[in-house]
Amino acid sequence: MGDWRVVLRLAWRNLWRNLRRTLIMLAAIVVGTWAMIFMTALMRGMVDDMVKDGISVLPGHVQIHHPAYRDDPTISNLIAPPSGELLEVLGRPEVVAWSTRVRVPAVISSEQDTRGVTLVGIDPDQERGVSFVADDMAEGRFLESRDDTGLVVGRKLVEKMETDLGKRVAIMTQDPENEIADRGFRIVGVFDSKLDQYEEGFVFAGQETIQKLLGVGDAVSEVAILGTDYREVEGLTRMVAEAAGPDVEVLPWNEIDTYLGSMLAVMDGFVIVWIVVIFLALSFGLVNTLVMAVFERVREIGLMLALGMTPRSILTQIVAESTFLLVIGLAIGNLLAWATIEPLKGGIDVSIVGEGMELFGAASVLYPALYLEDVVLANVIVIVLGFFASLSPAWRASRYDPVRAITQV
Amino acid sequence: MSITFRLAWRNLWRRKRRTWLTVGAMVFSNILLVFMISLQLGMYEMMISNTLRAQTGHLQVQAPGYKDDHKIRQVVPNVQQLAQKLRQGLGTDDVAVRAAAFALVSSGDRSYGAQITGVEPNRESRVSSLPGLVKEGAFLSDTMAEEIVVGSILARNLRVEVGDELTFIGSGRDGSFAAAVVTVVGIFESGMPDMDRGFAEVPLGFFQDTFSMGDDGHAVVVMAPGLLQVGATQASVQALLPAGADLAIHDWDALLPGLKQAIQADFVSAWFMYGILIVLVAFSVLNTQLMSVLERTKEFGIVMSLGVTPGRLGRLVLLETTLMGVVGMVLGVLLGGALVVWLHFHGFTYPGLEEMGGKFNLPGRIYPTVSIVGLLMGPLIVLGASIVASLYPAVRLHWVEPVAAMRAA
Amino acid sequence: MKPVRCVDLCKTYRQGDLEVTGLDHVDLEIDEGGFVCLSAPSGGGKTTLLNAIGGLDTPDSGEVWLAGERIDNLGKGELAKMRLHQIGFVFQAYNLIPVLTARENVEFVMEVQGVVAGSRKSRSLEILEEVGLGGLGDRLPAQMSGGQQQRVAVARAIASRPALVLADEPTANLDSQTADHLMELFVELNEHHETTFVIATHDQRVMAYARRVIHMLDGRIVGDERREAA
Repeated sequence: MGDWRVVLRLAWRNLWRNLRRTLIMLAAIVVGTWAMIFMTALMRGMVDDMVKDGISVLPGHVQIHHPAYRDDPTISNLIAPPSGELLEVLGRPEVVAWSTRVRVPAVISSEQDTRGVTLVGIDPDQERGVSFVADDMAEGRFLESRDDTGLVVGRKLVEKMETDLGKRVAIMTQDPENEIADRGFRIVGVFDSKLDQYEEGFVFAGQETIQKLLGVGDAVSEVAILGTDYREVEGLTRMVAEAAGPDVEVLPWNEIDTYLGSMLAVMDGFVIVWIVVIFLALSFGLVNTLVMAVFERVREIGLMLALGMTPRSILTQIVAESTFLLVIGLAIGNLLAWATIEPLKGGIDVSIVGEGMELFGAASVLYPALYLEDVVLANVIVIVLGFFASLSPAWRASRYDPVRAITQV
Repeated sequence: MSITFRLAWRNLWRRKRRTWLTVGAMVFSNILLVFMISLQLGMYEMMISNTLRAQTGHLQVQAPGYKDDHKIRQVVPNVQQLAQKLRQGLGTDDVAVRAAAFALVSSGDRSYGAQITGVEPNRESRVSSLPGLVKEGAFLSDTMAEEIVVGSILARNLRVEVGDELTFIGSGRDGSFAAAVVTVVGIFESGMPDMDRGFAEVPLGFFQDTFSMGDDGHAVVVMAPGLLQVGATQASVQALLPAGADLAIHDWDALLPGLKQAIQADFVSAWFMYGILIVLVAFSVLNTQLMSVLERTKEFGIVMSLGVTPGRLGRLVLLETTLMGVVGMVLGVLLGGALVVWLHFHGFTYPGLEEMGGKFNLPGRIYPTVSIVGLLMGPLIVLGASIVASLYPAVRLHWVEPVAAMRAA
Repeated sequence: MKPVRCVDLCKTYRQGDLEVTGLDHVDLEIDEGGFVCLSAPSGGGKTTLLNAIGGLDTPDSGEVWLAGERIDNLGKGELAKMRLHQIGFVFQAYNLIPVLTARENVEFVMEVQGVVAGSRKSRSLEILEEVGLGGLGDRLPAQMSGGQQQRVAVARAIASRPALVLADEPTANLDSQTADHLMELFVELNEHHETTFVIATHDQRVMAYARRVIHMLDGRIVGDERREAA
């Protein structure tokens, strides 16, 4: 059994015999590994933020609404607020927070302008836990109670409407009888959002105030539920659906916003493809390096075979050489990636293409996200594929005819 | 053919496997680059042209400030006169007038906010694809007709069909109440949810009447012969504007800032990845050429003794790399090009593309264009990078002493 | 004006930890059309002297004059140019570029010298004839015997009719008969074209062909024999 230790030691020494060549190959592996992990972290961070931002703005992880609501998100498709069994389920620990909303299309008019928006009547206490808005108040205050008569508006909208905190605006919408319902509101708070479309498109008011305005009693448009992990919503969805009954539709966020929903899956696919592509690019050089190393040592290998070393140990030796090379390269590459990602945790400013990022649904600051799974995946793929890549030259080396090898010029 | 050329070529094939592996790395990345770049270019072209055709056209003449504020009182005076002047001056009919306002649109059951745009029924098709996207019914007929075409999602939300009546209410130019009853003559489907949900068109004259616009409008839309001619057309339009007129001309990039940025962001991030790939290929070439030069130390020593300068030998090495690179390029372009051509006919899709497509006016299936740029851009850069990579082995020869070299093993 | 003139050449070089004396105050003059052998046991300095004469190596001190021009103070580029046009070299082994045919090997140097393609081709065939390799122009070195390879090297060396040909142990890898043929070729070229030959060797039979043998030991000239060629 001391045999394999000798083999490993030989493999290690052989690696360093042609220093220049080994170093160049190492450099390539380091660059490749760095790129794998760095790029992945960057993209993951971007997609994670996109999804989180998209979710946090309104739908939550799971939503309950009227079956016809998605097609026709108007006042006619309301549901009763949670009660009985549903209420009980919502109190369970899997539900981090939940809130009800009344959401209808409306027109907002200031002295200067008129625009279409989505009016959202919320319960501020509930809402705080579910969506982000309460944290992003720039001026004034958030709503304080369900019957608050103030209006919270996005900063971009305030600017476009040429109005201001404290001023009055008119809200016009449609009640269940298709009559126009309108009411004046005073702007009590201005919020900021990472995405302009939210600042411009949504205004918030007290739920009870809106319900009264529309004369719908205590009916709501949707129940938004926040679970523990936006990536694992199936269990939560099922649990809520069972309790909510057949009269309503219960959907997880990725089915409500299919664009966001597909983003995560696309990202997963992208990561694997990226890693494999890099490895393939490296593999040509890797095999070449091994082939060259073997070629230079033909005589020596022939000698070892003649002296009694088994072909199997020659094979092991070459594979070991390749593995050492990869492991060292991976180690340095991983370290380098970590070292370059850490300082960037504060965010990379891409506001120069900010409006373009808006179109994608991404913010103008990118935060890299290093996931252990991605790192492990990258390393494992490189080692495994590297093992297979080294088999060919290793196999050939072990098949050498000792006599011919020794007498080779 | 010079001896040097023959020498360079034959030197490559001294170590067939090594050369093929290095060429293999080049071919692999070239195929990838040709495929990806052609795909990207095709996508960008489609994104731009679809969005332009449906929304903004190539250029618009507007009142200064209208682009950002969209206030109904920011008008282009005597707009049809100006349009006619432009038509004559540019010698084209691809010029049309628009006016727009936000209004609450109501059917018997429902009300929704939407943007109402007044267009010239017989001219709009020259600057927009929308008239051609009418799926039910027909486009508007006469400039004074009390007609409307609505987006498919809006129609569904309003529960209307061709022939039904709609009322809309908004604010006129002078602040007065603007209201009208119109008949739905057509329903369009653009594939862009935002347009289909919040957009409707009425005849221009009718619009001007309803919204107290007089002879004014909000934009003169101009289509240039092609994307590349936008700049020249803009200059011509500028010259045709009446002297002292307080008007602004915006190209599509100014009107849709996010679009160009989104493309830029995508292109740059893609090139970051392509760059890594190219760097890895360069490493491969560096290693190969370095080994190849070192193996020939003695031979080079003798040749230098004969009076061949290191500079000349360096050029030989560069020539070898170039030949290798050309082989890689030709094979890469052929194979990659074949792939692109095949996809050009069969289309390309991946899970998630359909959802993404909606945001960018792209279909769920992309048909890449076959273009010289797409085919050659990547491979040419790989070739360049390879030559640069082999500069080190080539330049290194400068320090070789013939006598020492000849003594090498 | 002598083709070769060395004045008080000294050179030491390092071999591992040792400092070896390559040349120790060497003075030498060679006449035009001369056929000279430098004889020494291995390490005696003959190769070092040959290299100094050929501008391959610069002496630590002293002067080297070729055809009335001083060369020991020239830069690398100028030395290369000089070697290219004025000197022909024949080495012991590995003379030829393995992937070029015999004719191409000869043509290669001519191309570097700036000879145009048409004349290159005809001239190289001519030269190959002259050294007795008439029909072998399209053979690769691997397809030729040691002696034939050396002849190609000679053809290459004289292609531009240099005034001086330097050979470093040209027969060391050849059997005695082939060695004799090669030396006869040298003599013929020397007589025909008045080319000066300087051959470093420790082979007695090679020396037999020379008209002058310079004996060296430890970097010094210890003997200068003029003789009648065999």
